[in-house]
Amino acid sequence: MRRIICRRELVTDDARYAGEPPGPDTREVQPLAQFIAVLGAGQMPGPGAAIMIAPADELEALAAHLALVSLIVVDFPKIGEGRGYSHARMLRQRYRYAGELRARGALKRDQLFFLARCGFDSFDLDPAEDLQAALAAFNDFSVAYQDGSDAVVAVRRRAAAS
Amino acid sequence: MHVYRYDQIDQTLVNERVAQFRDQTRRFLAGELSEDEFRPLRLRNGLYIQRFAPMLRVSIPYGLLSTRQLRMLAHIARSYDRGYGHFTTRQNIQYNWPQLERVPDILADLASVEMHAIQTSGNCIRNITADHLAGVAPDEIADPRPYCEIIRQWAALHPEFSYLPRKFKIAVTASPADRAAVEIHDVGVRLKRGPNAEIGFEILAGGGLGRTPIIGKVIRPYLPQTDLLAYLEAILRVYNRHGRRDNIHKARIKILLRALGAEEFTRQVEHEFEANREFAPRLEAHEVARMAGFFAPPPYQQFDDLAAVAVGIAAGEPAYEAWLRYNTRRHKMHGYRVVFVSLKKHGEAPGDMTAAQMDALAQLADRVSFGMVRATHDQNLVLADVPQAVLPEVWRELDALGLATANIGTLTDMICCPGLDFCSLANAGSIDVAKQIHARFDDMDYLYDLGPIEIKMSGCMNACGHHHIGHIGILGVDKHGKEWYQITIGGSSAAPAALGEVIGPSVPKDQVSETIAQLLEVYVRERHGDDERFVDAVRRIGIEPFQERVYETHHLPA
Repeated sequence: MRRIICRRELVTDDARYAGEPPGPDTREVQPLAQFIAVLGAGQMPGPGAAIMIAPADELEALAAHLALVSLIVVDFPKIGEGRGYSHARMLRQRYRYAGELRARGALKRDQLFFLARCGFDSFDLDPAEDLQAALAAFNDFSVAYQDGSDAVVAVRRRAAAS
Repeated sequence: MHVYRYDQIDQTLVNERVAQFRDQTRRFLAGELSEDEFRPLRLRNGLYIQRFAPMLRVSIPYGLLSTRQLRMLAHIARSYDRGYGHFTTRQNIQYNWPQLERVPDILADLASVEMHAIQTSGNCIRNITADHLAGVAPDEIADPRPYCEIIRQWAALHPEFSYLPRKFKIAVTASPADRAAVEIHDVGVRLKRGPNAEIGFEILAGGGLGRTPIIGKVIRPYLPQTDLLAYLEAILRVYNRHGRRDNIHKARIKILLRALGAEEFTRQVEHEFEANREFAPRLEAHEVARMAGFFAPPPYQQFDDLAAVAVGIAAGEPAYEAWLRYNTRRHKMHGYRVVFVSLKKHGEAPGDMTAAQMDALAQLADRVSFGMVRATHDQNLVLADVPQAVLPEVWRELDALGLATANIGTLTDMICCPGLDFCSLANAGSIDVAKQIHARFDDMDYLYDLGPIEIKMSGCMNACGHHHIGHIGILGVDKHGKEWYQITIGGSSAAPAALGEVIGPSVPKDQVSETIAQLLEVYVRERHGDDERFVDAVRRIGIEPFQERVYETHHLPA
């Protein structure tokens, strides 16, 4: 069973990706293009769709349908991939997505702090990572110079509170 | 102190970064992180694995150092390295011989004087560079340093922009002379007065050197102060999402801008800027004022004793006269001069400085320049606020330290990367070529007759030595395992920036200084009066006369 970090706890993953066998209580994660194609064909997906965003995906097409989505998995296929950080910020801020937002792929504990600040709340890390030890990385920094989704840090204010 | 001082937030952040890096190093040494996994982590903290040893690059934000910090750099050179450091073209300092295991301790020492190595390498926003004469230059419209510090803080550990397609360099200038070379940066920021004389910015993007040298384009002629960070976020987001990640040599923002065209790139940035307004950071006037407080002018003296001032600039011995002429510059305050500390002594690697020199310079700066020192992107240091009356004494002390070579702005004030001697990327040596040039042109009177000439040298096409924008550029290339050098002429970093033209096939190592001598021979012959600089002559007559001279005696390969 794959373990992930969800809202700072270790849980068993219920996501099922292409090529993985179906099981009870799992939800299928479909690529963004497939999700859009289904909608385009006039079919209505069931509530709580789970979709996967690749680094090069454009989010604009998804924006109007976010109410149908309960899980967005953002893929980080390679070490150093960084587009997903912008995806997360745009989903949380511009598109006001409030559901589960997961970072998945070539990620270590060293990226957790940035990912959480950008709005991710669940994390499917490199299988070799020690997840229990990784939890501490959310607290790597107690301060920041930028606003972020993670409210536990003290942020340098540049503007008067409005 | 006339430097930014850390508050609790700044100090905590740097301390926590040290702790994080200590743990990352421990995991690497324990085998919990592979080399591939550790690389992006150590790089974004300035740590390279070099040809012989790790290299640690320490950030000197916009080149400004207190003497307390300079003493710490000396301490690090002595305790963890081989007694010296190397100042870089990004106003930083590098140590070439630290041990990996001890790097966390070096970082802890740096943190104790409000310094760090955050984002001095890696695919992230690098050290913010600025005019080394900021705050003292007579020609600036305002002090750019408060904005530099604001950008530094905004960029530090930015959660969205820490894994960019490639490195990202920002430079700020407030002078039309552009001593910060903003046109060759990923983003250039020029302070500019708005319609009501308020401070705003002209924004350039897409400049850079490396394999594909490109001069940046103005994408926003005027940006209000409030929007500085919001606009930078828009540029960075467009770049982060759309910059190429499939080819390291095509990943800089200049390639994206060129592929989209300046107009379309600008449209995307402006669109993102508008769409993100609600969420982007706003820069309020009171924060700018708070920052400006850190850079308030030091308590300058009013010199009413003109005689005392005159002593400093009175005729002395010829060596002092030359130093005064070449190594000092006008200051905006009456009775003060800007003093350049030359790190280009014959026989030394350009930019290198020993721990003893650093300590002695710190002591001198405490006495004569309000305890502040600056690093320039030409790899020299500056004492920015020296009373004219003490100039002879300053000269004598610098001279005793080997830091008064009167060559600032002349041919031997070369920019030079570490080259093959240290760098694992280099194709060819730079330092020994610099020594060869020094040896060939050791007649100072000849150098003075030649006037200002900038030689810039890189050991490979990554262009750390900025060869494209040298009046004379020298690029090391590898030809069948031998070191050869391609020569360009006519480049310039000062506004308007220009890229040099290649004069022809590269020359072997032992021919570099001879080739330069031939170029100078043509210049001296063709020069229009004493005031026409080498680079102006090249622009006027083109490169052909130079090519003819250099290649007339060489066999040209087919």
